[in-house]
Amino acid sequence: MTLSRSQQQYYYQLVLYLCGFLLFWEWMRPLEKVTDTHNLTIFVIYAAFCFFISFLQVNWWFSMPIKFLGLVFILDGLFLYEGLFSKEWFIIVYQQFAYNFEVILAQSWGEMTGFFRSFLFLVLLWLMSYLLYFWFVVAKRIFLFVLMTFIVITVMDTFTEYNGQWAIVRTFLIALVALGVSSFFKEMEKEQITLLGMNRLRRWVIPMTGLILLSTVVGYAVPKPGPQWADPVPYLESAVGGSGGTGVGGKGIQKIGYGEDDSELGGAFIQDETPVFQAAAKQERYWRVETKNFYTGKGWENTLEEDIRQVNGGDLGIRTFTDEVETEEQFTIVNFTNEAALKKMVYPYGADKVIAYAEGFQFYVNQPKGEVETRLNGNAEQIPGYRMRIDVPSYEYDQLREAGEEDPEEIRTTYLQLPDNLPNRVRNLSRQIIKDEDNRYDAVKAIEDYFSSSGFEYNTKDVAVPGENDDYVDQFLFETQKGYCDNFSTSMVVMLRSVGIPARWVKGFTGGELQQSDAELDDGESYNLYQVTNGNAHSWVEVHFPGIGWVPFEPTKGFSNPTDFYVDTEESGNSTEEEDSEDIPAPEVGNPQQQMEIEENFNEGKSGAGTARNGGNFWKYALIALAVAGMAIALYITRFRWMSAYMRRKYKHMGDAETYQKAYQYLLKVLAHKGMKRRSDQTLREYARDVDMRLQMNDMKILTYHYERILYRNEQQSNQWDKVTELWENLINRALS
Amino acid sequence: MTQQLSLYEPKISEVLKNVNKVMVGKEEVTLLSMVALLAKGHVLLEDVPGVGKTMMVRTIAKSLDCEFKRIQFTPDLLPSDVTGVSIYNPKEMEFQFRPGPILGNVVLADEINRTSPKTQSALLEGMEESSITVEGSPVPLKEPFFVMATQNPIEYEGTYPLPEAQLDRFLLKLNMGYPTVQQEREMLSRTSGDHPLTMVEAVLTRDELIDIQNKVKDVYVDDTIRSYIVELVTATREHEGVYLGVSPRGSIALMKAAKAYAYIQDRDYVIPDDVKYLARFVMPHRIILTSESKFEGFTPEGITDTILENISIPVQRTKHE
Repeated sequence: MTLSRSQQQYYYQLVLYLCGFLLFWEWMRPLEKVTDTHNLTIFVIYAAFCFFISFLQVNWWFSMPIKFLGLVFILDGLFLYEGLFSKEWFIIVYQQFAYNFEVILAQSWGEMTGFFRSFLFLVLLWLMSYLLYFWFVVAKRIFLFVLMTFIVITVMDTFTEYNGQWAIVRTFLIALVALGVSSFFKEMEKEQITLLGMNRLRRWVIPMTGLILLSTVVGYAVPKPGPQWADPVPYLESAVGGSGGTGVGGKGIQKIGYGEDDSELGGAFIQDETPVFQAAAKQERYWRVETKNFYTGKGWENTLEEDIRQVNGGDLGIRTFTDEVETEEQFTIVNFTNEAALKKMVYPYGADKVIAYAEGFQFYVNQPKGEVETRLNGNAEQIPGYRMRIDVPSYEYDQLREAGEEDPEEIRTTYLQLPDNLPNRVRNLSRQIIKDEDNRYDAVKAIEDYFSSSGFEYNTKDVAVPGENDDYVDQFLFETQKGYCDNFSTSMVVMLRSVGIPARWVKGFTGGELQQSDAELDDGESYNLYQVTNGNAHSWVEVHFPGIGWVPFEPTKGFSNPTDFYVDTEESGNSTEEEDSEDIPAPEVGNPQQQMEIEENFNEGKSGAGTARNGGNFWKYALIALAVAGMAIALYITRFRWMSAYMRRKYKHMGDAETYQKAYQYLLKVLAHKGMKRRSDQTLREYARDVDMRLQMNDMKILTYHYERILYRNEQQSNQWDKVTELWENLINRALS
Repeated sequence: MTQQLSLYEPKISEVLKNVNKVMVGKEEVTLLSMVALLAKGHVLLEDVPGVGKTMMVRTIAKSLDCEFKRIQFTPDLLPSDVTGVSIYNPKEMEFQFRPGPILGNVVLADEINRTSPKTQSALLEGMEESSITVEGSPVPLKEPFFVMATQNPIEYEGTYPLPEAQLDRFLLKLNMGYPTVQQEREMLSRTSGDHPLTMVEAVLTRDELIDIQNKVKDVYVDDTIRSYIVELVTATREHEGVYLGVSPRGSIALMKAAKAYAYIQDRDYVIPDDVKYLARFVMPHRIILTSESKFEGFTPEGITDTILENISIPVQRTKHE
């Protein structure tokens, strides 16, 4: 088969235009996902129709009505039920347009009807078919559109729920074909070759197809490194949206784990499943590490006096409850992993005495915080493991209910603290919640339950950071209602305090993942084995009950309190409530991964906070750097434009030869920038002739004539320079236009 | 063509028009001949016979109201045939000097390379010194004095080529070239009537010409231009294929020619275009190539072009000036 040159041209344009359509299709695909566009198929078909008509290159008086008719049919099929072109039909169409034009004039864009929006969208498709025909077939400029397609897909993929995985592969393929074909034909045109005959064409088409397929397959198959940057969406949202517009928080994505610094809570984090320790216990327990007492409005700090004492013989003395509480003696074994760098003990409620532990370690107890540091030779060190005796507490409901309100003075002063600027609505809300409760326990339960019922959402990604004037709790309770354990536990503590119930904030780990049940260990006891990871870092609430001590509560949605509560049937046999269910730890509702706490690297302690937050700063700085770079590039590209504006003023009056020379030299630079560079062996006249020919004018010759007089005749003054200034300006404008 | 850029000086323009009435398609050669004439230099025309050399020179001479002389150089020509001899006049009883053809204003020295060096040197002396020596006493030449010598490039048998070192006595070396088909047709139609030369009238008096020659000296040559000339000339000496480059006399010649050319274009200052244009006619015959580069196919013209391409035009005044 032999193709004539024009036929070949035709096929080439067909391929190119088809590629253009396919690329455009990629633009339309996300619409269904991202917007409320329905019937996308119809729009795609209409786009194809428009593209096809454009390609036929029929006269406009034929193509316009055809496309318009297509548009009308689609609108009719989608929105109008009256007979096509009947009187009612026209009336409805008229009403639609009239209404929507009013809406547009009123600038209430949201009010536009589906009919009108579809109409506008169809018109847009129509225009795009023209535009792409021009780009692909007439101007043969494909790359820009290809690039834009890639950008659109990546942006859609990143910022919306649209998944662009295959779209990227498809776009890649189409783009390569389009670019290949276009470059091939440009080459043919340039070299004036015709590849007549399919055989010769094949010689070129086959390698190209092979290459494209190969690169696509290779590109798809090779392992790709994970994202170098964390997902920017949560950061951008937390930075911009979460703060209610009052300022951009400096926090970004954080890594989950147990951390020291809680003074600025909020922000998203990513999961980290690095194991911290293995625990052997009879039941799932929460592992306590420390408490904090002082709420700043943004997070937690410890203001209690450090009271660190070395304990001997393993007697920790960190019981959080009085002897009134029923206990059961149990044992537990903790073994830290090599990754662990906590340098503190994790212990369940009721920890009493460390029985066996690695040689040489000492325990330093910070009584007010309930924190046990492990030291080796006086330096804080990570202890490999220990076995401890615990007196597991069980709290009796009625005992709690009857505990009363008489908290000791030191408890009241420390654990009722609240920031002065805590918004009143927090207090009001708390009062509202507990108004029907007549004892402390029920009040606490009511507030705890409030979180599971009132539209709160457990979320680790889309979590706001309080702005400068925001209160962390207030923001969570009234604005975002999205968050993780810190949000829930802090809010509960603050709410309790606001109604006069002493409470504190506890940090530690949840029970972790059960790895083996009923394993018999060396000591002859059988245990359940749990693995606890950074992802299990957690925070919860302890409430003070007079005469009983501190009782843990769990407000975080999806988590359940592993503490034992029971009903004393002997004492209150008339109790009909079957609240025993709470004795047994409910199966973890929350995915273990859903547990968190802001991390920093244990090894680095406080300084780690910096690195963790750098993720956020990086994005901020990257954005700033990008903006600055963009501006610099823009300035550089347009340098002759703004410089000329400046020069124009500067050389407004070319009073002396010196100025004239500078102005003329500048003009040479501008011309050179615009692709009219003077060769060094070109005399000014020869050059001026070229320039005038290019710009279709005579000004450069005249300007050059005057310049020659200055340069080669050593002329210092001329009365014609006013005219010359005008010429100079003309030339600059002409060159830059 | 550079000439299109500006108008010619009115009087010179008249001369050129006059010549072009007779000559077809010889505008450039005519113009360059005028350059040499105004610069008080001489022209060496290297071309085959019959392309109109004589006709052109005669036309120029006639338009200038100048005395035209022609010397046909032959191997047996004697120096005195050029300079003239003293002949005894029996009536007056004394020797009378019968001036030779060199004592004209415009002298056509045809096929200069066919005569002996002795005779050649008689002419060359006159060109250089503006005077000749006849029987021991100097005889001043007429003013203006303009020699147009021709040499035949294809006949080597029985020729005495001009020593290369002597060639730079000529300001310009030109090639006439064959006319194009159209030009030749036009030429034939012109010769069908009266001899065109008869229609030519003098448009410039001798005194006016001398006056112009003096004015040419006053054309301004800027330092930048002088540097450019020196750069060009120096480049010929430094070129590796060149045995002997353009001499300082060559740079003076280039400057003088540029002045004349500027004047012809009614300009009282020289621009690089003048220099660049004239370098092709001033420099090549002053360049002697090494035998290697001759074998490699270099020509003085080619080297001149290369140099012109490589030396950048001064477009900016340097600071200290």
